[in-house]
Amino acid sequence: MLCERCKIREANIQYTEVINGVKTEHNFCAQCAKELDFGPYSAIFDSDFPLGKLLSGLLGVGESQEHQKTHQVICPTCGTSYEEFIKNSRFGCGDCYGVFDILISDNIKQLQGSDTHKGKIPRYHFHKDPDRFSVGALSGEDGQDQAKGQQAEPKEQLRILEAKLKEAIAKEEYEMAASYRDQIRSLRKEQETT
Amino acid sequence: MKWFEYVDKEYPGAISSRVRLVRNWDQYAFPSRLTQKESMEMVRRLEQGLRDLGSFDGKKYEYAFLDELSELDRKALRERRIFNSTIASLKMPAKVILSEEEDTSIVLNGTDHIRLQLLSPGLNLEALWKQADKLDDYINERFSYAFDKKYGYLTSFPTNMGTGMRASVVLHLPSLSLGKKFSGLVSEMGRFGASVKGVYGEGGDNYGALFQVSNQKTLGLTEKEIVDLVGRVAAQLLNQENQVRSMALQKHRLECEDEAFKAYGVLKYARRLSAKDAMLLLSQLMSGISDGILETREPCPVYRLMLGIQPANLQKLSDRPLGKEELDAARASYLRAELPELK
Repeated sequence: MLCERCKIREANIQYTEVINGVKTEHNFCAQCAKELDFGPYSAIFDSDFPLGKLLSGLLGVGESQEHQKTHQVICPTCGTSYEEFIKNSRFGCGDCYGVFDILISDNIKQLQGSDTHKGKIPRYHFHKDPDRFSVGALSGEDGQDQAKGQQAEPKEQLRILEAKLKEAIAKEEYEMAASYRDQIRSLRKEQETT
Repeated sequence: MKWFEYVDKEYPGAISSRVRLVRNWDQYAFPSRLTQKESMEMVRRLEQGLRDLGSFDGKKYEYAFLDELSELDRKALRERRIFNSTIASLKMPAKVILSEEEDTSIVLNGTDHIRLQLLSPGLNLEALWKQADKLDDYINERFSYAFDKKYGYLTSFPTNMGTGMRASVVLHLPSLSLGKKFSGLVSEMGRFGASVKGVYGEGGDNYGALFQVSNQKTLGLTEKEIVDLVGRVAAQLLNQENQVRSMALQKHRLECEDEAFKAYGVLKYARRLSAKDAMLLLSQLMSGISDGILETREPCPVYRLMLGIQPANLQKLSDRPLGKEELDAARASYLRAELPELK
């Protein structure tokens, strides 16, 4: 099959789009795919995209709105901005984890299948308190305890919906997936307004 | 002797095991955020603290700045898996601490401050993790790590966070990888959290039928669980390989023998060998030896030969850069010299 955009090269990328439950299929060649904008998926067509980027792009529902709001967050210790972190999939220092925590924890869960360390704990730890950069401690410092408490429930809902969305995509149940995605969107909007 | 030269430790099918831990010192930003001066200072301090490493585990260590090594040396270390491609091309001050047998290495200021790696022949992850655990404590006694209760060991890349551990095994799967079901099997392993990929090859091609199994995830699993997972997947694949292989030996004994002896003959007498051909023949030789079809007078460490015929090593041996034609000739002459006689 020829690429539907250039109609010259062989199409070797099949792109399936689901908008409001309507599924459309496209066939592109690699070069056209590179030139087109697939949002968070575009990185796939770069020659050296890091795995983390692809995974943080998965389920990137509402990513662009969130992105605009958060690109100003900068780690005070090393100067890495959230934008740079997303671009390079690379932390600048240990403190970045605490600074970006709320922004990245969902992505981390997608990437790693978990967001909680279960393994070895350093036997010797003498400079900094390991608790210092955990979510609780951080929001405590910023006086955001209350906000966090209110978010807990919708956050859990979001997590469930995202899991369902993922499952639906895996099973190719695109209509269900679209409905979950819409629910996630409205829940996110609700969260933003409160 | 290097770790990969011990023939008696060679196990059929399981070539080598590797455990790698990445750690960061909580006194400095991660390497990508350090200035030249800070990098230099940190590397010096880390190295100072690890000077007595040899007296801790009884091994002999060499310490070298990466920029003191020639490009060829770096490439050769990359071929022997001491460096990964990122480390081999680092610009900032970085240091490698390498044991004489090359089974233990520490890279300072690579993509993370500390990258500890242990290698051994065969399927040996549990023992390697124990060693790594001890060495990790030794380092941690001197340098406190960037660690978070929730996210574990903090690393430059989110793909390493948590345990900072990658456990991997290299397997020889010549029969299994020929089958149509192999790619399905590989993606099946992905669902268990293990990735399987070819070690040598270009594009979609695989040379030598060596495959690396490693853990995909580093967070949310204990180190023991990672070791078990990779070990289990490796054992499963080896088991399948053996089944396919023994069936082939039963039904097509003559073809198997012919393939092994032809491989030996070409390797022993050829005057020019491309990397692709040599790897395929060595893979067939490896099968022949482990099936008991071929017996050599002296033990024949096939994996060592596979490492030996890589371009940087051949260029090192001939002490000069080689063009493609020269490389193919050097490869054939290396194999003629190194391959033991048949019994």
